[in-house]
Amino acid sequence: MVWEIGLPLRFPVNLSEHPTDSELAEQCKRGNLRAYERLYDLHSARMKSLAFHLVGNRADAEDTVQEAFLKVYRAVGSFAGASSLSTWIFRILINCCYDSLRKQKRLAEKPASRELPSDPKLPLKVGLQRALEKLNERQRLVFLMFEVEGLKHSEIAAILEVPEGTSRSWLFEAKRELKRMLTESST
Amino acid sequence: MKFECGDLERALAVSELMPEAREHLKQCANCRREYRLWNEISSTGRQLHEDWDSPALWPNIRKMLEAEPKPKSAFVWWGEWKIWAVAAVVLIGVGLLLLPRLQQAVTTPEAKIAHTTGGAQDQDFLTEQALADVQRTEAAYRRSIDKLSQLAQPKLADRGSAVAANYKEKLLLLDSAIADTRSNLDHNRFNVRLQTELADLYREKQQTLQEILTRDQKN
Ligand SMILES: [Zn+2]
Repeated sequence: MVWEIGLPLRFPVNLSEHPTDSELAEQCKRGNLRAYERLYDLHSARMKSLAFHLVGNRADAEDTVQEAFLKVYRAVGSFAGASSLSTWIFRILINCCYDSLRKQKRLAEKPASRELPSDPKLPLKVGLQRALEKLNERQRLVFLMFEVEGLKHSEIAAILEVPEGTSRSWLFEAKRELKRMLTESST
Repeated sequence: MKFECGDLERALAVSELMPEAREHLKQCANCRREYRLWNEISSTGRQLHEDWDSPALWPNIRKMLEAEPKPKSAFVWWGEWKIWAVAAVVLIGVGLLLLPRLQQAVTTPEAKIAHTTGGAQDQDFLTEQALADVQRTEAAYRRSIDKLSQLAQPKLADRGSAVAANYKEKLLLLDSAIADTRSNLDHNRFNVRLQTELADLYREKQQTLQEILTRDQKN
């Protein structure tokens, strides 16, 4: 593909219709906001949902997504491309979510209330949502990324920087724990 | 092996056991319920994806990024081809000067290995020396794991304990991941990513075994 070399760096240059991850990374490094918009189009739905489950409400979830983009923009110069840009942005998002949770804890004496579904027609959905809250951090993360957001084990492994087998094993542990909690709560 | 109700979870982790599990499911209502719940956890999980409109989110992000200074590595001279052309000429010159020495170096054994595996030019591959170090570490891990496995054996053999069953399943999963990674490594023993993955799996297994033993001491 041909980049419009010579244009001011922050002037939106054309992106190919389906830019590769490295093309996007290159354009992000050059401060091309179209590249960031493409990243947003590609990942924001899953980023928002994952953040929602981690921080507990939509407003904070949107804030963390915004924060993640800002961090990507500021740090993209040091992005070496060892993982893919999408992997990297999710890793940054997860860190932003934990920062946000720490902030919530600092600001409030009681834990922030979480937006939980209350659909009486879907007792399993409600039960699952509540049980998820009780999982340990790594199990919850892997369950959310694999089952809820549909990421692959290879992607999760890259985001969490663990072997793929570990991602599989954490998902198995998560489901076993959820099954145990759901069985106990129904008896 | 006779498949029992307690084997269902193991079958969910190790797909080779599923045919036997399916036979058992035909006759056991209890396990059928468990299996249905297992699948429902995944299908219901997908419904937990939270979707909502955020028309202001991208405009806000855009505004915020516009207010930022340029990304640090977006070199101002990136687009200036003249500098690149000069740099290329200098590099080619240096390359030509060093070429005879490099050719000489390629004939040494280390260089041969580095050459055939991508070696020094490619950090995704290990040199022979680094590989020997990695293999020594791996052997140390395996010795430690063997020792820990022996110590943990009595605790794991307790068929009545749910905790022991859970740990056994986890160890099975890890063993199967270790076997996969090792067989991949047989074809590509210089691959750094696979070696790192294998080391991580050994570390995880070692930690799991230590966890079993310390839990034993606490209880
Ligand atoms: Zn049964």
